[in-house]
Amino acid sequence: MDFSFLLEGYYLIILLKGLMMTLLLAVISVILGTLLGLIPAFFRLSSHKVLRFLGTLYVEVIRGTPLLVQVLLIYSFVKIKVVVFMGVDLSSFIPGMLALLINSSAYVSEVIRGGILSVDKGQKEAGLSLGLSEKTVMGKIILPQAVKTIIPALGNEFVTMIKETSIFMYLGIAELMYSALMIRSETYAVKETYIVVAVLYFALTFPTSKLMGYFERRLKVSESK
Amino acid sequence: MKANKLIEVNHLTKQFKDGMKALDDCTVSFEFEKVTVIIGPSGSGKSTLLRSLNLLEIPSGGEILFAGQSITNDNFDIRTHREATGMVFQNFNLFPHLKVIDNLNLAQKSVKKKSILEATKTSQDLLEKVGLSHKINNYPNQLSGGEKQRIAIARALALSPKVMLFDEPTSALDPEMIKEVLTVMKTLAQSGMTMIVVTHEMGFAKEFADHIVVMDKGKVIEEGKPSTIFNQPKHPRTIQFLDSVLNK
Repeated sequence: MDFSFLLEGYYLIILLKGLMMTLLLAVISVILGTLLGLIPAFFRLSSHKVLRFLGTLYVEVIRGTPLLVQVLLIYSFVKIKVVVFMGVDLSSFIPGMLALLINSSAYVSEVIRGGILSVDKGQKEAGLSLGLSEKTVMGKIILPQAVKTIIPALGNEFVTMIKETSIFMYLGIAELMYSALMIRSETYAVKETYIVVAVLYFALTFPTSKLMGYFERRLKVSESK
Repeated sequence: MKANKLIEVNHLTKQFKDGMKALDDCTVSFEFEKVTVIIGPSGSGKSTLLRSLNLLEIPSGGEILFAGQSITNDNFDIRTHREATGMVFQNFNLFPHLKVIDNLNLAQKSVKKKSILEATKTSQDLLEKVGLSHKINNYPNQLSGGEKQRIAIARALALSPKVMLFDEPTSALDPEMIKEVLTVMKTLAQSGMTMIVVTHEMGFAKEFADHIVVMDKGKVIEEGKPSTIFNQPKHPRTIQFLDSVLNK
């Protein structure tokens, strides 16, 4: 085993850049995925049959197909001219991001739906019995309570996304996995490169899930006080 | 419409999705400024009837008239009606993420469009009436069951409803807490509030009801003054039911 490439600034910068890109992709996909995920979530909670069907179809299809297939499919459909912005080729970044967003939104929508359903039915009834509108009941009574279930679960989704971004390697986006390929082909240190990358992924995900666990406990404490 | 009748229920039916028929051709009326207590074995449709009165359950058939106006009509303004009918639930259903004061203020601000100062003033008065002024800044989880239910009553009263519906308000409470809730309800009854109460508290029914409605299998089987119902019940199911609750 020869980890000496770690001592060279050149390789370190490649790894660090890859790490940053991975984080950026994960953050964007979770934040935008959450906003996008609200749509199928409310579709599935709707009393309207067609909306419910569409929401369910979306979630089931996305969750039932591999992310890699989705990424390659969208990449082959969405054709954009090569534009380099801040060192990133947007022609592969945009379709890749789109695929990741769609994927993330399907999973997040289930998290949101679960959070909303976890609020006791009596809360809605109490709100309605006071003459509040459905919208006010959702915004002022149900969502504030659902957030306690949703936030920790979103953390898990963030951890998943950090790992899933490795798929961008196939599109030539310089995230962590792509950096690994570059280093591997230059140093021929195959095992060592993959070990370093695995450690780096873990260094991102482990503190994140620990942090989420901490928030979860905090939320539970504030609830039972 | 007879002048003293606030709510008239005509041939009401309610069939749930699973086919269970909770109300079966139920006809009954509730008088203005009177306390009506609905009793009957569990599963007799008492709660469903009560929840139909503010349309938390949408009836499958029949009609409900509120002050002469049909509320089961499709284009009826449900929200205004709910504003006028306060409801108290078995499980309190206070909003756990809001302080007591905000539990009381929320609908006043959102529905009645009151300013926060006006709403707070009303809330403070009501909290004093239910004897919980000192809990104004507490969260529901910091209250006992009895206190929660008194807050829930105050919350419903904050919209100055025309009628108060009580759905087994003491069933989830420990015995020592039942009394404090009943005391609040008695004061309310004496103030002339129209009340419809589903309860197993026969003591409350005997002492404070103006009218008793006995239900069984989704129908009203007998109704009358408490003295009549408790001393000379006619229907065999009433006799059987009273026997089981009073001599347990």
